Amino acid sequence: MSNVILEARALRKTYLSGDRRLEVLNDVAMTVARGESVSIRGESGSGKSTLLHLLAGLDQPDAGEVLWAGSTDTGTGRRAKFLGMVFQSFYLIPELDALENVVMAMRMVGPVGSAERDRAKAMLARVGLAERAHHVPAHLSGGERQRVAVARALINSPQLILADEPTGNLDEKTGDAVIALLLQLCAETQTALVLVTHNAAHAAKTSRSLLMHNGALNTA
Amino acid sequence: MPWYLYLALKQLFPTGKKFPFFTAISVLGVALGVALLVVSISVMGGFGHEIRRMIVDTQGDVQIRGSGLVNNPKAIMGLVAKVPGVTGVTPFAEGVVMLEYNRKPIFPGIQGIDLTHINDVIPLTRYIHNGTLGDLDDDTIILSSQLAYSIGANVGDKVQISSPLQLEKLKNDEVFLPRELTISGIFEIGHQQLDSSTVLVTLRRMQDLYGLGNAVHGFDVKIVDGLDPDVVTRRINAALPPASGLEARSWMELNQDFLFVLQLEKNLIFILLLFIVVVAAFSVTSSLLISVVRKTREIGLLGALGGSPREVALCFCFQGLLIGVSGTVCGLAFGFGFLHVRNDILHLFTKLTGSQEALERFYQFSNVPAYLQPGDLLLIIASTIVISTMAGIIPAWRAARLKPVEALRNE
Repeated sequence: MSNVILEARALRKTYLSGDRRLEVLNDVAMTVARGESVSIRGESGSGKSTLLHLLAGLDQPDAGEVLWAGSTDTGTGRRAKFLGMVFQSFYLIPELDALENVVMAMRMVGPVGSAERDRAKAMLARVGLAERAHHVPAHLSGGERQRVAVARALINSPQLILADEPTGNLDEKTGDAVIALLLQLCAETQTALVLVTHNAAHAAKTSRSLLMHNGALNTA
Repeated sequence: MPWYLYLALKQLFPTGKKFPFFTAISVLGVALGVALLVVSISVMGGFGHEIRRMIVDTQGDVQIRGSGLVNNPKAIMGLVAKVPGVTGVTPFAEGVVMLEYNRKPIFPGIQGIDLTHINDVIPLTRYIHNGTLGDLDDDTIILSSQLAYSIGANVGDKVQISSPLQLEKLKNDEVFLPRELTISGIFEIGHQQLDSSTVLVTLRRMQDLYGLGNAVHGFDVKIVDGLDPDVVTRRINAALPPASGLEARSWMELNQDFLFVLQLEKNLIFILLLFIVVVAAFSVTSSLLISVVRKTREIGLLGALGGSPREVALCFCFQGLLIGVSGTVCGLAFGFGFLHVRNDILHLFTKLTGSQEALERFYQFSNVPAYLQPGDLLLIIASTIVISTMAGIIPAWRAARLKPVEALRNE
């Protein structure tokens, strides 16, 4: 069995902006192995988020392909089990409390019973939010919300976590804590991590750093 | 529970929110429509039910008539009485007479009834308010209430009755004097036409007035409660001698035009009031569309978590369905609650406006009848839930069309 969890082959993506054709990704290739953490840095508009969306199967490349554990199936049916995502703006569901937000990810893959709820509570405890499990997002701080998002991303034991500037809306100290938590949990569970960040210090904590520039991906 | 159903529930009734305002407004709109439908259709149904009961009470379930006179009524009655499902048969003779009281002539319809059998078929006793049926004999007459009121006659007064037979006799230079009858009772059925222009005499007196001998014009038949009158009618027709020229017709067949108008009125009311539910459904659509716009990023997130466009669409369709179900339940509670106190409200209104007497005289009732057929109730529930669910389709379609990547970029 291959150790490669994520593989991107010759990805190209262009957008139309009025009459102009913007080439956002140009022949991008990368692989991520099981348990590996990879950071992608680059200036704004360099194509980091576009690449992440292609890797997540949320968008289709104009050319090239994305493989999850050797398979080109990146559809919704497989996404919930294979992939966890963490966003800059947390994207918690405001009508649900912290525990229900985590459980929601579990509902995507199957029925939820008391065992699943206990697992979600344990995951919240793992990210330090045991006492805040029944608080709605509006009553949580930014750091707490992002920790709920991390718990939600990891709850289905995915093989890959894609994190899109997860500290972008957090202060430095809280951001450091969230990144440390994310890296630690991924390492414990042998989950591959692709971290898009502007922060060089956060990138340095990953096992490999890549740099995105003008739609091309290079080793930092 | 699938995630989309769970989320639909949570979006309508969010955790930690005591009063979900948008949901309450949407549910209230549907509930008011349902309540109005229940009340209106029940009252319309109540009037229809009363009218149907009145028809059966005055004509029986089945009526047998021929093209001319029936000269052997006893033989026919014997045949009809043996038909399975028949519980009573009574002969009748009918026509028009001139009734004179205090030199005031009127021309009511007259019914000759067989006192021996009438109670087996028609519960006349129930409708005689002044006097009793037992007081009716060959020298007495029972008047309908509005007729008696219009000529100012009362029980014990004497009236003169002239029949078309007088004209026949005059042609042959014979004299046929008007009959003087004493008013022995006054009845009120609750039907404007019957109550304003009908008089009742014994069958013998009617046969005398019309020179019928022993003949009658037809028979009213009562059948076992719950049996289909059309089925028994077919059995009676099969039992009647073909040469008699008699034909049995059920009360529904005899009054089919009237019943059609009643049903048409009810259907029109239903369709008109259903528009209230449709308007409420537009409000649900509007709320859900606003919700889709407000929750664009969450919809993108659901895609990122692994939700398919079909499941996202179902989430919003379920919200329409849940609003429809909640609105229907509340509307039924409001509607039946209002029906429960309808007579108290009517009495309060008539007391305040002093219109109690006018209401009773014009409508012949002091209470508002209400009768909701199970079929009508099911139709109200089903149509409301279907319309409300359809209200979620446009928002659901819009939500399903959102691409996760574009929705997530919607900062």
